[in-house]
Amino acid sequence: MIAFISGGCKNGKSTYAQNLAKSLCKTGKLCYVATMIPHDEEDDRRIARHLKEREGWGFETVEQGTDIDGCVDRLGSGATVLLDSVTALLSNEMFGPDGTFRPDAGIKTAQQLRSLCLAVDNIVLVSDYLYSDAQIYDEYTEAYRRGLAHVDRELAKLSDTVMEVCFGNIIFHRGELTI
Amino acid sequence: MHLITGGAYQGKTEYAVEHFGIKSEDIFTCTEDGKIDFGKGCVRGIEQYVLACVRAGKDPGAVFESTRDWEDAVLICRDISCGIVPLDPVLREWREAVGRLLAILSRQAESVTRMFCGLPQKLK
Repeated sequence: MIAFISGGCKNGKSTYAQNLAKSLCKTGKLCYVATMIPHDEEDDRRIARHLKEREGWGFETVEQGTDIDGCVDRLGSGATVLLDSVTALLSNEMFGPDGTFRPDAGIKTAQQLRSLCLAVDNIVLVSDYLYSDAQIYDEYTEAYRRGLAHVDRELAKLSDTVMEVCFGNIIFHRGELTI
Repeated sequence: MHLITGGAYQGKTEYAVEHFGIKSEDIFTCTEDGKIDFGKGCVRGIEQYVLACVRAGKDPGAVFESTRDWEDAVLICRDISCGIVPLDPVLREWREAVGRLLAILSRQAESVTRMFCGLPQKLK
């Protein structure tokens, strides 16, 4: 099962995604693919908070900040994977720590995510819907938005179920399911 | 008239081409020059037309009253109603003007479709 979840911030996407991943995992490992690369103390604190929030859920944390399909061997066969978030992954791929900017990073990211999706038993992918605001962005931000939309749409094509979380409610754009 | 909306890069134009069989040469794309032409049967980027109107101090809804040429058209307009209220007063007015226009067009549309990550959601 490939499940894609998006929606606005603080709508309950991560909580729903954790529940869904847990319910999909019948046999095999339950893994959380952490995409965030910490750059400062604030990031360290955020990661510590996320780890604490997932305590007791039975997730094994696998870190992979770039080249996402590089974690396939560590996940092993038959794994159920929660990837939160596509947004952070693309940011790592597009904006390097040395200041490099790869405007077409979305194409590579979508391909590598596809490989990951096809290599595991179940995967729940979380992204962010950031396409409906009234701003005119600089070229970097606009390239990022365009890239994320490309990744989202490629993942949506591939997914068995596509959901939008709206204040804790689920809108099924494809493949209704109950957990 | 059929209205297609949704956020940026969500596949609105692709949907118009696939679902309504519109050829890409039959799509009029609005830009910041403030021109709009319903003659081709499909108009995209209506939010850009609205932005041009706001900048020129014109009412973006007026053209939809002065002509009925859009009645059989497929209209494509980005939804910009979410997100932070912009600091720039022009963008603030743009955001509200697009919202008002979409509400008017929605009422008059035969169908309204919202695109989400490339997937159509039938609103009407």
